[in-house]
Amino acid sequence: MKSTLAACLLATLALPAAADTTVGLLLPGSGNYAALGQDIEDGFRMALAEAGRDDITVIEADTEAKPQTGLTRARKLIMQDQADVLVGVVSSAVLAAVRDVVDGAGVPLIVANAGNDAATGADCSPFITRVSFSNSQLNRPMGEWMAAQGITSVYTLAPDYAAGQQMIGAFTAGFEAGGGKVVGGELTPFGKTEDFGPYLAKAKASGAEALYVFYGGADAISFVQQYDGFGLRDDMPLYSVGFLTAPLYLRSQGAAAEGVIGALHYLPMLDTPENMAFVTAYQAAHGGDLPSEYVVAGYDAGRLLLGALETGAEGRAAIAEALPKVAYDGPRGPLQIDPATNNIVQNVYIFETIKDDAGMSYRLLDTREQVRDAPNGCVMPG
Amino acid sequence: MLQHAALLLLISSGLSVSFGLMGFVNLAHGALYMLGAYIGIAVAAKAGFWAALLIAPLVVGALGAALYLGLLCRLRGPMPQVLASFGLVFITVELVRILWGDVALTLERPAILAGSRHVLGVDYPAYRLFIILLGLAVAVGLWRTVHRSSLGAMLRAAVENPAMARAIGIRTGSLFLATFALGAALAGLGGVVAAPILSANTGMAISALIPALIVTVIGGMGSVSGTILGALIVAAIEVFGAALWPDASAVLIYAALAAALIWRPQGLLAVKGHG
Amino acid sequence: MFRLTTIRAATAALVLIALAAWSVHGDYLAREITAEIAILAILVLALDLVAGFGGMVSLAHGAIMGVGAYGYALANLAGLPPWPAALVGIVASTATGGVIGAISARLTGVFFLMVTLAFGQMIWALTFRADALGGDNGLGGIARPALPFVDSNDPLVFALYALLMLLACLLLCVAVLRSPFGHRFQAVHDNPARAAALGFAPERIRAQGFAISSMLAGVAGVLAAQHMQFVSPELMVWTASGEVLVVLILGGIGSVTGAMVGAAGYLLLKHWAAGWTDHWHLAVGLLLIAVVLAGGRGLSGLLERRRDA
Repeated sequence: MKSTLAACLLATLALPAAADTTVGLLLPGSGNYAALGQDIEDGFRMALAEAGRDDITVIEADTEAKPQTGLTRARKLIMQDQADVLVGVVSSAVLAAVRDVVDGAGVPLIVANAGNDAATGADCSPFITRVSFSNSQLNRPMGEWMAAQGITSVYTLAPDYAAGQQMIGAFTAGFEAGGGKVVGGELTPFGKTEDFGPYLAKAKASGAEALYVFYGGADAISFVQQYDGFGLRDDMPLYSVGFLTAPLYLRSQGAAAEGVIGALHYLPMLDTPENMAFVTAYQAAHGGDLPSEYVVAGYDAGRLLLGALETGAEGRAAIAEALPKVAYDGPRGPLQIDPATNNIVQNVYIFETIKDDAGMSYRLLDTREQVRDAPNGCVMPG
Repeated sequence: MLQHAALLLLISSGLSVSFGLMGFVNLAHGALYMLGAYIGIAVAAKAGFWAALLIAPLVVGALGAALYLGLLCRLRGPMPQVLASFGLVFITVELVRILWGDVALTLERPAILAGSRHVLGVDYPAYRLFIILLGLAVAVGLWRTVHRSSLGAMLRAAVENPAMARAIGIRTGSLFLATFALGAALAGLGGVVAAPILSANTGMAISALIPALIVTVIGGMGSVSGTILGALIVAAIEVFGAALWPDASAVLIYAALAAALIWRPQGLLAVKGHG
Repeated sequence: MFRLTTIRAATAALVLIALAAWSVHGDYLAREITAEIAILAILVLALDLVAGFGGMVSLAHGAIMGVGAYGYALANLAGLPPWPAALVGIVASTATGGVIGAISARLTGVFFLMVTLAFGQMIWALTFRADALGGDNGLGGIARPALPFVDSNDPLVFALYALLMLLACLLLCVAVLRSPFGHRFQAVHDNPARAAALGFAPERIRAQGFAISSMLAGVAGVLAAQHMQFVSPELMVWTASGEVLVVLILGGIGSVTGAMVGAAGYLLLKHWAAGWTDHWHLAVGLLLIAVVLAGGRGLSGLLERRRDA
């Protein structure tokens, strides 16, 4: 964020030429989600660099993943820096906090992570466009797929907060619609030093065929370690929302993550020319690391913005109107925005985490094409 | 449950020494615990788990001693201690972020403790058995050091009446230094041992502090048996609370803390004169 | 015993005037930060009243403030106009603090700290899990109060309004400390034996003091809800209370004006450092340690260089 000061100076000194666009990056630079914020920023800047445009000013603001802080920073970007568009937002609580401000001020916000269903559902806004995912979008197809694989009973675990409840709820709906049965589940206390031992013991005692979980961050790493430590692998295979063994965590998890099956909107192994080029470019700049789904979300946020600007859109209202019309084939496959909700329409990939000669990797099992959120209470003002 | 209590005891024992015995309001305990985990991971990458288990607590103990000599021994009264140790938390977390990054890390269990063992009719992960044994060893060692040697008595005298303690020939300065270093080393040990289960992350500096404070205070400060009892109570509430009444489990532990304090203000097994 | 020395009155006046001038002449961010400083200063003031003068170091003040903020938000969302809603928020805080104080008043020192931590965390956990309160996503759409002649949605107006509230709380705090009740409250802490000999009921006086402090925390909560027009459980978690305590010690505990100096110093450093590095916590940590090494009487202690208090 060293460039922030320079960017601020530039923003105040340079006379705003007609076509200049100011972007406010609303990402956590410190706190629990800092790693995600960094990945999203890397991806976003990669898209801008590829386009080679010099008429876009980026101003960073640290949300710390705290709603109050995020709101203060968002207001500052809108009121003081006169940002034309905001990009980012990792935590759903921050999204809930800034929702009224961007909607009221008429500033387009491209959401690059936070998956709260309501943001493109009951609380949707023509100024909020999401290029990451909605919680239902990932979990429902996974529920249907597992039922189609002949799995009849599942035990669920997730942290006890809004996203955890939503993910498990959507999974349960999909799985039970497909004929399966969720025989039990537990919401574990959120944000504590977590020992999953007692919950794993309960899951084992439930006698369910499989375990389905949602965990992210440090929890993702400890959960996989503890699942492995308890030796549940043979009795109870582990399925999850794909964040559990995503590239960001897989390096730390190592062999413990072998065999975990997940569903996610991006996989670095996708065999398309767009993705190959993207992975090669990212690896060249990041010492051979695989890009995470957060990098891709940041990258697509940049591509979406560029797409809108290429139509000649200028200023807040025009950009907001142009954003949902952008569609292209990106690293994660064909991508478009659903005009009914402003949520992304995208493929969901079901994959297995495997161990190969080069270390840990992924194998694609199935693809759910062009998943779109079911009608969810969103009414766009005509 | 026993395993959970042992883990809590390992995480808390350092605080029960520096805060409980010495009366130093050490909010940096969680930061020392975190350092133990990260240094343990760094050492294990070069020399394996067992070396990490030995070296990381020593390094953290030495760091604690240096901090105490350079900064903390000059502080009188709880308020400056709160401020300085909070400052240390901020600084340590940022240094860890700079050195190790934002993504959580893990420590591989040693091969001999991988898999499970058949104990009392059930399969139990070997590493968790190891934690129970280590927790027992730390409890016994600490109890013997404090209650069965003159150290505990000297320390209590030095905390309650430093002038009198000096007058009867107790070198309070080095005594406090040694105690603080021991507390830091125990925090570091907790960090290494917890890393293979809980993973190492920058949030642990804050998240480990609350359970450690509860364990130290609920049983009674200044008493090793109080800390052991505290760990057992907290573990029982968390494990059985989660099983029997999951909706209330987040509140239960705090309700228990409040109830215990109101019922027995000095803690359940308090040593007289503390407060 | 509290004394309103000339230097303290001058410091308070100077900080208030400087902040007002900064928000009049400054940009949007200056006004937002001024409002933030005023709100934090009121909360720190509330804590100073009990911690600095009654020895009741509380880790529940963030939660008590949050109760005020949620009280205001819920009443306002239910259709109550802002001013009556503000009353609801303040009453809710006072009642919560009164109950906590009544239960905990016989505990002292670190045991009081721990029991308030427990109550604060209970309030946080219940709010975090309550779907009716928006859970961890919080509540939005909260209105600001109608003011005569001016629009409170203007950042400058709101900053000055918050500063006025801070001044009112400051005067109230001084009045409380100088009242007969204030003397009894401080006597119970400074000299319990004598207070008991005079026939004071220490637990009741301490509980009442805690309720008054909670009322001030409620004012901060209502202002915070009006400022952000959004509330979330993040206000209530124990680290928020810990931050308030740190700001109080940083400013100088038991001096009333220390609350303002601490809040202004802490937030200005935070915003300034966050502008050029992600690792701004490092700067804050170094400041805390520097203040401790400089004598441990806080920023206002450095200003005063005196030994009364």
